[in-house]
Amino acid sequence: MNRTTTAFSIGIKEQARNYVLVALLVVLPVSFITLAFAVTQDVEMPVRTLVDGETVTVMRGMPEVHGVIMTPITSALIAGLAGLFLMREAKDTDGRLAVAGYRARQVIAARFGVLAAITLIVTGVSVGVMLIDFQPEHLWWFVAAMLVISVTYGLIGMLVGAVLDRLAGMWLMLILPMLDIGLFQDPLFIQSEPDWWMKLFPGYWPVRVMVDTGLTTDVDTALSLVWATGYLLLVAVLTIGVYYRATRAK
Amino acid sequence: MNRVRTGIRANVSTFLRTPLNVVLALLLPVVVIEGWGQAMAGLPTMPTVEAIPIELGRLLGAIFGVAIIAGLMGLAQMISARAADRRLVQTGYPPRTLLATRLATLGGVTVVVAAVNYGVLLLTISPEAPVLTFVFLVLAGLVYAFLGALVGALLPRLFEGSLVVVFLAMMDAFLSGDSPLAADVPEFVEYFPLYQPKELLQEAMFQGTYTTGDLGFVAGYLLVLLVLVTAVFGVTMRTSGGWSA
Repeated sequence: MNRTTTAFSIGIKEQARNYVLVALLVVLPVSFITLAFAVTQDVEMPVRTLVDGETVTVMRGMPEVHGVIMTPITSALIAGLAGLFLMREAKDTDGRLAVAGYRARQVIAARFGVLAAITLIVTGVSVGVMLIDFQPEHLWWFVAAMLVISVTYGLIGMLVGAVLDRLAGMWLMLILPMLDIGLFQDPLFIQSEPDWWMKLFPGYWPVRVMVDTGLTTDVDTALSLVWATGYLLLVAVLTIGVYYRATRAK
Repeated sequence: MNRVRTGIRANVSTFLRTPLNVVLALLLPVVVIEGWGQAMAGLPTMPTVEAIPIELGRLLGAIFGVAIIAGLMGLAQMISARAADRRLVQTGYPPRTLLATRLATLGGVTVVVAAVNYGVLLLTISPEAPVLTFVFLVLAGLVYAFLGALVGALLPRLFEGSLVVVFLAMMDAFLSGDSPLAADVPEFVEYFPLYQPKELLQEAMFQGTYTTGDLGFVAGYLLVLLVLVTAVFGVTMRTSGGWSA
Protein backbone atom coordinates (compact mmCIF):
# COMPACT_ATOMS: atom_id res chain seq x y z
CA MET A 1 0.00 0.00 0.00
CA ASN A 2 1.57 3.33 -0.99
CA ARG A 3 1.55 6.44 1.18
CA THR A 4 -1.36 8.14 -0.61
CA THR A 5 -3.56 5.07 -0.22
CA THR A 6 -2.58 4.78 3.45
CA ALA A 7 -3.42 8.42 4.18
CA PHE A 8 -6.66 8.14 2.17
CA SER A 9 -7.84 4.98 3.92
CA ILE A 10 -7.02 6.46 7.35
CA GLY A 11 -9.02 9.57 6.43
CA ILE A 12 -11.99 7.47 5.29
CA LYS A 13 -11.84 5.28 8.41
CA GLU A 14 -11.75 8.40 10.58
CA GLN A 15 -14.95 9.71 8.98
CA ALA A 16 -16.68 6.31 8.84
CA ARG A 17 -16.00 5.70 12.54
CA ASN A 18 -18.05 8.80 13.27
CA TYR A 19 -21.54 7.28 13.18
CA VAL A 20 -23.27 10.58 13.87
CA LEU A 21 -21.70 12.09 10.77
CA VAL A 22 -22.53 9.08 8.59
CA ALA A 23 -26.14 9.18 9.80
CA LEU A 24 -26.41 12.92 9.15
CA LEU A 25 -25.01 12.56 5.62
CA VAL A 26 -27.99 10.31 4.87
CA VAL A 27 -30.76 11.67 7.11
CA LEU A 28 -30.36 15.36 6.24
CA PRO A 29 -30.69 15.06 2.44
CA VAL A 30 -33.55 12.58 2.83
CA SER A 31 -35.55 14.80 5.17
CA PHE A 32 -34.78 18.10 3.47
CA ILE A 33 -35.49 17.03 -0.12
CA THR A 34 -38.55 14.95 0.83
CA LEU A 35 -39.95 17.88 2.77
CA ALA A 36 -39.32 20.25 -0.14
CA PHE A 37 -41.36 18.04 -2.46
CA ALA A 38 -44.08 17.41 0.12
CA VAL A 39 -44.98 21.02 0.87
CA THR A 40 -44.42 22.69 -2.50
CA GLN A 41 -47.63 23.73 -4.23
CA ASP A 42 -48.56 21.53 -7.17
CA VAL A 43 -49.06 24.29 -9.71
CA GLU A 44 -47.54 25.05 -13.12
CA MET A 45 -44.99 27.87 -13.13
CA PRO A 46 -43.14 29.67 -15.93
CA VAL A 47 -39.48 28.65 -16.24
CA ARG A 48 -36.86 30.22 -18.53
CA THR A 49 -34.64 27.62 -20.15
CA LEU A 50 -33.02 26.62 -23.45
CA VAL A 51 -35.09 24.72 -26.00
CA ASP A 52 -33.53 24.02 -29.43
CA GLY A 53 -30.87 26.61 -28.70
CA GLU A 54 -33.37 29.38 -27.95
CA THR A 55 -34.16 30.77 -24.50
CA VAL A 56 -37.89 30.32 -24.05
CA THR A 57 -40.38 30.21 -21.20
CA VAL A 58 -42.01 26.84 -20.59
CA MET A 59 -44.59 25.84 -17.99
CA ARG A 60 -43.49 23.20 -15.49
CA GLY A 61 -44.82 21.91 -12.17
CA MET A 62 -43.45 23.87 -9.22
CA PRO A 63 -42.49 20.73 -7.21
CA GLU A 64 -40.29 19.58 -10.13
CA VAL A 65 -38.63 22.98 -10.49
CA HIS A 66 -38.18 23.25 -6.74
CA GLY A 67 -36.71 19.73 -6.69
CA VAL A 68 -34.19 20.67 -9.38
CA ILE A 69 -32.98 23.47 -7.09
CA MET A 70 -33.26 21.87 -3.64
CA THR A 71 -31.25 18.78 -4.62
CA PRO A 72 -28.05 20.66 -5.59
CA ILE A 73 -28.44 23.07 -2.64
CA THR A 74 -28.42 20.11 -0.27
CA SER A 75 -25.33 18.48 -1.68
CA ALA A 76 -23.49 21.79 -2.21
CA LEU A 77 -24.10 22.80 1.41
CA ILE A 78 -22.87 19.51 2.83
CA ALA A 79 -19.90 19.24 0.46
CA GLY A 80 -18.95 22.87 1.19
CA LEU A 81 -18.99 22.33 4.94
CA ALA A 82 -17.09 19.05 4.50
CA GLY A 83 -14.40 20.87 2.50
CA LEU A 84 -14.23 23.62 5.12
CA PHE A 85 -13.67 21.24 8.03
CA LEU A 86 -11.30 18.97 6.10
CA MET A 87 -9.11 21.97 5.40
CA ARG A 88 -9.25 23.18 9.01
CA GLU A 89 -8.24 19.69 10.13
CA ALA A 90 -5.52 19.54 7.49
CA LYS A 91 -4.03 22.83 8.67
CA ASP A 92 -3.62 21.28 12.10
CA THR A 93 -2.25 17.88 11.12
CA ASP A 94 -0.96 17.65 7.55
CA GLY A 95 2.09 19.78 8.23
CA ARG A 96 3.21 16.95 10.51
CA LEU A 97 2.82 14.44 7.67
CA ALA A 98 5.09 16.63 5.58
CA VAL A 99 7.65 16.64 8.39
CA ALA A 100 7.38 12.84 8.49
CA GLY A 101 8.40 12.66 4.85
CA TYR A 102 5.11 12.76 2.96
CA ARG A 103 5.23 14.65 -0.32
CA ALA A 104 2.72 17.46 -0.73
CA ARG A 105 1.01 15.76 -3.67
CA GLN A 106 0.49 12.59 -1.62
CA VAL A 107 -1.19 14.46 1.24
CA ILE A 108 -3.26 16.56 -1.17
CA ALA A 109 -4.39 13.49 -3.14
CA ALA A 110 -5.45 11.74 0.06
CA ARG A 111 -7.42 14.71 1.39
CA PHE A 112 -9.08 15.38 -1.96
CA GLY A 113 -9.95 11.68 -2.10
CA VAL A 114 -11.77 11.92 1.25
CA LEU A 115 -13.64 15.02 0.07
CA ALA A 116 -14.54 13.24 -3.20
CA ALA A 117 -15.86 10.24 -1.26
CA ILE A 118 -18.07 12.40 0.99
CA THR A 119 -19.30 14.35 -2.05
CA LEU A 120 -20.12 11.15 -3.92
CA ILE A 121 -22.14 9.82 -0.99
CA VAL A 122 -24.05 13.05 -0.51
CA THR A 123 -24.71 13.46 -4.24
CA GLY A 124 -25.84 9.85 -4.51
CA VAL A 125 -28.21 10.14 -1.54
CA SER A 126 -29.59 13.49 -2.74
CA VAL A 127 -30.27 12.28 -6.28
CA GLY A 128 -31.65 8.99 -4.96
CA VAL A 129 -34.17 10.78 -2.74
CA MET A 130 -35.09 13.16 -5.55
CA LEU A 131 -35.82 10.25 -7.89
CA ILE A 132 -38.66 9.11 -5.62
CA ASP A 133 -40.63 12.26 -6.47
CA PHE A 134 -39.12 13.46 -9.72
CA GLN A 135 -37.24 11.85 -12.63
CA PRO A 136 -35.13 14.25 -14.72
CA GLU A 137 -35.56 13.94 -18.49
CA HIS A 138 -31.83 13.16 -18.87
CA LEU A 139 -30.71 11.58 -15.63
CA TRP A 140 -26.99 11.19 -16.36
CA TRP A 141 -26.53 14.74 -17.60
CA PHE A 142 -28.31 15.88 -14.47
CA VAL A 143 -26.08 13.70 -12.27
CA ALA A 144 -22.96 15.01 -14.04
CA ALA A 145 -23.98 18.61 -13.32
CA MET A 146 -24.79 17.64 -9.71
CA LEU A 147 -21.32 16.17 -9.28
CA VAL A 148 -19.65 19.21 -10.80
CA ILE A 149 -21.50 21.68 -8.57
CA SER A 150 -21.00 19.55 -5.44
CA VAL A 151 -17.27 19.08 -6.00
CA THR A 152 -16.90 22.77 -6.84
CA TYR A 153 -18.54 23.73 -3.56
CA GLY A 154 -16.46 21.15 -1.68
CA LEU A 155 -13.31 22.77 -3.04
CA ILE A 156 -14.61 26.26 -2.31
CA GLY A 157 -15.19 25.07 1.26
CA MET A 158 -11.52 24.05 1.37
CA LEU A 159 -10.46 27.45 0.06
CA VAL A 160 -12.61 29.20 2.65
CA GLY A 161 -11.22 26.91 5.35
CA ALA A 162 -7.70 27.98 4.44
CA VAL A 163 -8.49 31.69 4.63
CA LEU A 164 -11.17 32.09 7.32
CA ASP A 165 -11.60 30.66 10.79
CA ARG A 166 -14.28 28.08 11.60
CA LEU A 167 -17.12 30.44 12.52
CA ALA A 168 -16.70 32.84 9.60
CA GLY A 169 -16.23 29.83 7.31
CA MET A 170 -19.48 28.24 8.46
CA TRP A 171 -21.39 31.48 7.91
CA LEU A 172 -20.00 31.85 4.41
CA MET A 173 -20.49 28.23 3.40
CA LEU A 174 -24.13 28.43 4.42
CA ILE A 175 -24.96 31.78 2.87
CA LEU A 176 -23.05 31.30 -0.41
CA PRO A 177 -24.83 28.18 -1.79
CA MET A 178 -28.15 29.37 -0.43
CA LEU A 179 -27.96 32.71 -2.23
CA ASP A 180 -26.25 31.33 -5.33
CA ILE A 181 -28.32 28.23 -6.06
CA GLY A 182 -31.45 29.02 -4.05
CA LEU A 183 -32.00 32.62 -5.12
CA PHE A 184 -29.75 33.85 -7.94
CA GLN A 185 -29.97 30.73 -10.14
CA ASP A 186 -33.50 29.63 -9.23
CA PRO A 187 -35.60 29.94 -12.42
CA LEU A 188 -38.70 30.59 -10.30
CA PHE A 189 -37.23 33.79 -8.88
CA ILE A 190 -35.13 34.96 -11.83
CA GLN A 191 -37.54 35.32 -14.72
CA SER A 192 -35.38 37.50 -17.00
CA GLU A 193 -31.79 37.36 -18.24
CA PRO A 194 -29.61 37.07 -15.09
CA ASP A 195 -27.38 40.04 -14.28
CA TRP A 196 -23.71 39.64 -15.23
CA TRP A 197 -22.60 39.24 -11.61
CA MET A 198 -25.00 36.34 -11.06
CA LYS A 199 -23.16 34.47 -13.82
CA LEU A 200 -19.92 34.67 -11.83
CA PHE A 201 -21.27 32.42 -9.07
CA PRO A 202 -20.28 28.72 -9.06
CA GLY A 203 -23.87 27.60 -9.51
CA TYR A 204 -24.63 29.44 -12.75
CA TRP A 205 -23.42 26.90 -15.35
CA PRO A 206 -24.32 23.66 -13.52
CA VAL A 207 -27.83 24.85 -12.60
CA ARG A 208 -28.45 25.84 -16.26
CA VAL A 209 -27.63 22.24 -17.15
CA MET A 210 -29.86 20.85 -14.40
CA VAL A 211 -32.84 23.01 -15.35
CA ASP A 212 -32.42 22.10 -19.03
CA THR A 213 -31.77 18.37 -18.65
CA GLY A 214 -34.18 17.99 -15.76
CA LEU A 215 -37.17 19.76 -17.25
CA THR A 216 -36.89 19.59 -21.06
CA THR A 217 -36.62 16.69 -23.49
CA ASP A 218 -33.58 17.96 -25.45
CA VAL A 219 -30.07 18.56 -24.17
CA ASP A 220 -29.14 22.13 -25.10
CA THR A 221 -26.57 22.87 -22.44
CA ALA A 222 -23.63 20.57 -23.23
CA LEU A 223 -21.44 23.65 -23.58
CA SER A 224 -22.60 24.91 -20.17
CA LEU A 225 -21.36 21.67 -18.63
CA VAL A 226 -17.97 22.30 -20.24
CA TRP A 227 -17.90 25.80 -18.72
CA ALA A 228 -18.96 24.37 -15.36
CA THR A 229 -16.11 21.87 -15.54
CA GLY A 230 -13.70 24.67 -16.44
CA TYR A 231 -14.86 26.60 -13.39
CA LEU A 232 -14.32 23.48 -11.29
CA LEU A 233 -10.78 23.04 -12.64
CA LEU A 234 -9.97 26.67 -11.90
CA VAL A 235 -11.19 26.29 -8.31
CA ALA A 236 -9.24 23.01 -8.02
CA VAL A 237 -5.99 24.66 -9.12
CA LEU A 238 -6.53 27.51 -6.66
CA THR A 239 -7.33 25.07 -3.87
CA ILE A 240 -4.26 22.95 -4.51
CA GLY A 241 -2.09 26.07 -4.37
CA VAL A 242 -3.68 27.31 -1.17
CA TYR A 243 -3.61 23.82 0.37
CA TYR A 244 0.06 23.49 -0.42
CA ARG A 245 0.84 26.80 1.27
CA ALA A 246 -1.39 26.08 4.28
CA THR A 247 0.04 22.66 5.09
CA ARG A 248 3.67 22.74 4.00
CA ALA A 249 6.22 21.96 6.69
CA LYS A 250 7.46 25.11 8.35
CA MET B 1 -18.85 38.01 39.99
CA ASN B 2 -15.25 38.61 39.00
CA ARG B 3 -15.10 35.20 37.37
CA VAL B 4 -18.18 35.93 35.30
CA ARG B 5 -16.79 39.26 34.15
CA THR B 6 -13.42 37.70 33.31
CA GLY B 7 -15.11 34.90 31.38
CA ILE B 8 -17.27 37.27 29.35
CA ARG B 9 -14.30 39.52 28.58
CA ALA B 10 -12.27 36.50 27.43
CA ASN B 11 -15.10 35.23 25.21
CA VAL B 12 -15.72 38.63 23.62
CA SER B 13 -12.04 39.24 22.93
CA THR B 14 -11.76 35.78 21.35
CA PHE B 15 -14.54 36.76 18.94
CA LEU B 16 -13.11 40.21 18.22
CA ARG B 17 -9.59 38.85 17.73
CA THR B 18 -10.72 37.61 14.31
CA PRO B 19 -11.66 40.80 12.44
CA LEU B 20 -13.14 38.77 9.57
CA ASN B 21 -15.80 37.45 11.96
CA VAL B 22 -16.81 41.01 12.71
CA VAL B 23 -16.75 42.06 9.06
CA LEU B 24 -18.88 39.08 8.03
CA ALA B 25 -21.32 39.60 10.90
CA LEU B 26 -21.83 43.13 9.56
CA LEU B 27 -21.84 42.32 5.82
CA LEU B 28 -23.90 39.14 5.64
CA PRO B 29 -27.15 40.73 6.87
CA VAL B 30 -27.09 43.27 4.01
CA VAL B 31 -26.66 40.50 1.43
CA VAL B 32 -29.24 38.16 2.98
CA ILE B 33 -31.91 40.81 3.59
CA GLU B 34 -31.70 42.33 0.12
CA GLY B 35 -31.28 38.98 -1.67
CA TRP B 36 -34.25 37.46 0.15
CA GLY B 37 -36.45 40.52 -0.40
CA GLN B 38 -35.73 40.80 -4.11
CA ALA B 39 -36.12 37.06 -4.73
CA MET B 40 -39.45 36.70 -2.92
CA ALA B 41 -40.83 39.78 -4.64
CA GLY B 42 -39.66 38.52 -8.06
CA LEU B 43 -41.79 35.38 -8.05
CA PRO B 44 -44.33 35.47 -10.90
CA THR B 45 -47.96 35.66 -9.80
CA MET B 46 -50.05 32.62 -10.72
CA PRO B 47 -53.62 31.67 -9.73
CA THR B 48 -52.58 30.12 -6.40
CA VAL B 49 -49.10 31.61 -6.06
CA GLU B 50 -48.53 35.18 -5.08
CA ALA B 51 -45.27 37.03 -4.72
CA ILE B 52 -44.96 38.51 -1.26
CA PRO B 53 -44.30 42.25 -0.81
CA ILE B 54 -40.62 43.14 -0.89
CA GLU B 55 -40.83 44.58 2.67
CA LEU B 56 -42.04 41.23 4.03
CA GLY B 57 -39.34 39.43 2.03
CA ARG B 58 -36.70 41.67 3.60
CA LEU B 59 -38.14 41.08 7.06
CA LEU B 60 -38.01 37.31 6.54
CA GLY B 61 -34.42 37.66 5.32
CA ALA B 62 -33.56 39.57 8.49
CA ILE B 63 -35.08 36.90 10.74
CA PHE B 64 -33.19 34.15 8.93
CA GLY B 65 -29.96 36.19 8.93
CA VAL B 66 -30.07 36.86 12.66
CA ALA B 67 -31.06 33.27 13.45
CA ILE B 68 -28.34 31.60 11.43
CA ILE B 69 -25.53 33.94 12.51
CA ALA B 70 -26.52 33.56 16.17
CA GLY B 71 -27.16 29.80 15.87
CA LEU B 72 -23.75 29.03 14.41
CA MET B 73 -22.14 31.33 16.95
CA GLY B 74 -23.83 29.43 19.79
CA LEU B 75 -22.62 26.17 18.31
CA ALA B 76 -19.04 27.38 17.92
CA GLN B 77 -19.01 28.89 21.43
CA MET B 78 -19.87 25.56 23.02
CA ILE B 79 -17.66 23.28 20.92
CA SER B 80 -14.51 25.27 20.33
CA ALA B 81 -13.77 25.75 24.04
CA ARG B 82 -15.00 22.40 25.37
CA ALA B 83 -11.57 21.08 26.34
CA ALA B 84 -10.54 24.39 27.90
CA ASP B 85 -13.84 24.61 29.77
CA ARG B 86 -13.33 21.19 31.26
CA ARG B 87 -9.89 22.17 32.47
CA LEU B 88 -11.37 25.29 34.05
CA VAL B 89 -13.97 23.14 35.82
CA GLN B 90 -11.20 20.87 37.10
CA THR B 91 -9.42 23.90 38.54
CA GLY B 92 -12.54 24.90 40.45
CA TYR B 93 -14.57 27.05 38.04
CA PRO B 94 -18.26 26.15 38.66
CA PRO B 95 -19.85 24.83 35.40
CA ARG B 96 -22.84 27.14 35.86
CA THR B 97 -20.62 30.21 36.05
CA LEU B 98 -18.80 29.03 32.95
CA LEU B 99 -22.08 28.48 31.11
CA ALA B 100 -23.35 31.86 32.29
CA THR B 101 -20.32 33.59 30.76
CA ARG B 102 -20.84 31.75 27.47
CA LEU B 103 -24.55 32.52 27.29
CA ALA B 104 -24.07 36.14 28.36
CA THR B 105 -21.49 36.61 25.60
CA LEU B 106 -23.83 34.94 23.13
CA GLY B 107 -26.68 37.19 24.25
CA GLY B 108 -24.55 40.32 23.88
CA VAL B 109 -23.28 39.44 20.41
CA THR B 110 -26.81 38.43 19.34
CA VAL B 111 -28.08 41.89 20.33
CA VAL B 112 -25.33 43.45 18.20
CA VAL B 113 -26.12 41.16 15.24
CA ALA B 114 -29.83 41.97 15.58
CA ALA B 115 -29.00 45.68 15.72
CA VAL B 116 -27.05 45.42 12.47
CA ASN B 117 -29.92 43.58 10.77
CA TYR B 118 -32.39 46.08 12.17
CA GLY B 119 -30.26 48.95 10.88
CA VAL B 120 -30.23 47.41 7.39
CA LEU B 121 -34.01 46.96 7.54
CA LEU B 122 -34.48 50.60 8.57
CA LEU B 123 -32.82 51.75 5.34
CA THR B 124 -35.83 50.54 3.38
CA ILE B 125 -38.70 50.01 5.82
CA SER B 126 -40.31 52.13 8.54
CA PRO B 127 -41.66 49.81 11.24
CA GLU B 128 -44.91 50.75 12.98
CA ALA B 129 -43.38 49.87 16.37
CA PRO B 130 -39.58 50.31 16.09
CA VAL B 131 -38.63 49.20 19.61
CA LEU B 132 -40.85 46.12 19.55
CA THR B 133 -39.51 45.16 16.12
CA PHE B 134 -35.95 45.32 17.41
CA VAL B 135 -36.77 43.38 20.58
CA PHE B 136 -38.49 40.61 18.62
CA LEU B 137 -35.56 40.39 16.21
CA VAL B 138 -33.30 39.91 19.25
CA LEU B 139 -35.65 37.20 20.53
CA ALA B 140 -35.45 35.34 17.18
CA GLY B 141 -31.66 35.50 17.43
CA LEU B 142 -31.63 34.34 21.06
CA VAL B 143 -33.80 31.31 20.27
CA TYR B 144 -31.30 30.17 17.64
CA ALA B 145 -28.27 31.13 19.73
CA PHE B 146 -29.51 28.88 22.55
CA LEU B 147 -30.48 26.19 20.07
CA GLY B 148 -26.99 26.31 18.58
CA ALA B 149 -25.55 26.12 22.10
CA LEU B 150 -27.71 23.07 22.83
CA VAL B 151 -26.57 21.32 19.65
CA GLY B 152 -22.99 22.27 20.51
CA ALA B 153 -23.36 20.77 23.99
CA LEU B 154 -24.82 17.56 22.54
CA LEU B 155 -22.54 17.04 19.52
CA PRO B 156 -18.81 17.18 20.06
CA ARG B 157 -17.71 18.24 16.56
CA LEU B 158 -18.35 21.40 14.57
CA PHE B 159 -18.98 19.63 11.26
CA GLU B 160 -21.88 17.54 12.54
CA GLY B 161 -23.21 20.40 14.66
CA SER B 162 -23.13 22.87 11.79
CA LEU B 163 -25.01 20.43 9.54
CA VAL B 164 -27.78 20.11 12.12
CA VAL B 165 -28.08 23.86 12.76
CA VAL B 166 -27.88 24.81 9.08
CA PHE B 167 -30.50 22.33 7.88
CA LEU B 168 -32.80 23.05 10.81
CA ALA B 169 -32.61 26.77 10.05
CA MET B 170 -33.23 26.23 6.32
CA MET B 171 -36.28 24.03 6.93
CA ASP B 172 -37.50 26.42 9.59
CA ALA B 173 -37.13 29.44 7.31
CA PHE B 174 -38.92 27.63 4.47
CA LEU B 175 -41.83 26.35 6.57
CA SER B 176 -42.22 29.17 9.08
CA GLY B 177 -41.36 31.93 6.65
CA ASP B 178 -44.60 32.25 4.66
CA SER B 179 -42.86 30.98 1.53
CA PRO B 180 -45.14 31.53 -1.46
CA LEU B 181 -43.86 28.21 -2.82
CA ALA B 182 -45.27 26.19 0.07
CA ALA B 183 -48.74 24.75 0.57
CA ASP B 184 -50.14 22.18 3.00
CA VAL B 185 -47.61 23.22 5.63
CA PRO B 186 -48.14 20.83 8.57
CA GLU B 187 -49.64 22.26 11.75
CA PHE B 188 -46.65 21.29 13.89
CA VAL B 189 -44.69 24.04 12.15
CA GLU B 190 -46.09 26.34 14.87
CA TYR B 191 -43.60 24.68 17.23
CA PHE B 192 -40.62 25.41 14.99
CA PRO B 193 -38.14 27.86 16.57
CA LEU B 194 -38.75 30.75 14.17
CA TYR B 195 -42.51 30.49 13.76
CA GLN B 196 -43.67 32.55 16.76
CA PRO B 197 -40.82 35.10 16.61
CA LYS B 198 -41.77 35.66 12.96
CA GLU B 199 -45.42 36.19 13.92
CA LEU B 200 -44.40 38.70 16.59
CA LEU B 201 -42.06 40.55 14.25
CA GLN B 202 -44.53 40.73 11.42
CA GLU B 203 -47.22 42.13 13.71
CA ALA B 204 -44.89 44.69 15.29
CA MET B 205 -43.46 45.74 11.95
CA PHE B 206 -46.68 46.18 9.99
CA GLN B 207 -49.36 46.78 12.66
CA GLY B 208 -47.40 48.14 15.61
CA THR B 209 -48.90 45.62 18.03
CA TYR B 210 -48.08 42.20 19.50
CA THR B 211 -49.97 39.20 20.84
CA THR B 212 -49.19 38.37 24.47
CA GLY B 213 -49.73 34.64 23.85
CA ASP B 214 -47.07 34.59 21.11
CA LEU B 215 -44.64 36.46 23.35
CA GLY B 216 -45.30 34.03 26.21
CA PHE B 217 -44.68 31.12 23.85
CA VAL B 218 -41.29 32.51 22.78
CA ALA B 219 -40.34 33.21 26.41
CA GLY B 220 -41.28 29.63 27.33
CA TYR B 221 -39.30 28.33 24.35
CA LEU B 222 -36.23 30.23 25.51
CA LEU B 223 -36.66 28.96 29.07
CA VAL B 224 -36.92 25.32 27.95
CA LEU B 225 -33.80 25.72 25.79
CA LEU B 226 -31.96 27.32 28.70
CA VAL B 227 -32.86 24.45 31.03
CA LEU B 228 -31.78 21.89 28.41
CA VAL B 229 -28.48 23.65 27.67
CA THR B 230 -27.73 23.90 31.39
CA ALA B 231 -28.49 20.23 31.96
CA VAL B 232 -26.48 18.96 28.98
CA PHE B 233 -23.58 21.31 29.69
CA GLY B 234 -23.50 20.10 33.30
CA VAL B 235 -23.28 16.49 32.13
CA THR B 236 -20.51 17.18 29.61
CA MET B 237 -18.48 19.08 32.21
CA ARG B 238 -18.72 16.35 34.84
CA THR B 239 -15.19 15.47 35.84
CA SER B 240 -15.59 13.18 38.85
CA GLY B 241 -14.58 9.57 38.40
CA GLY B 242 -11.49 10.16 36.32
CA TRP B 243 -10.39 12.03 33.24
CA SER B 244 -13.13 13.04 30.86
CA ALA B 245 -12.78 12.41 27.17
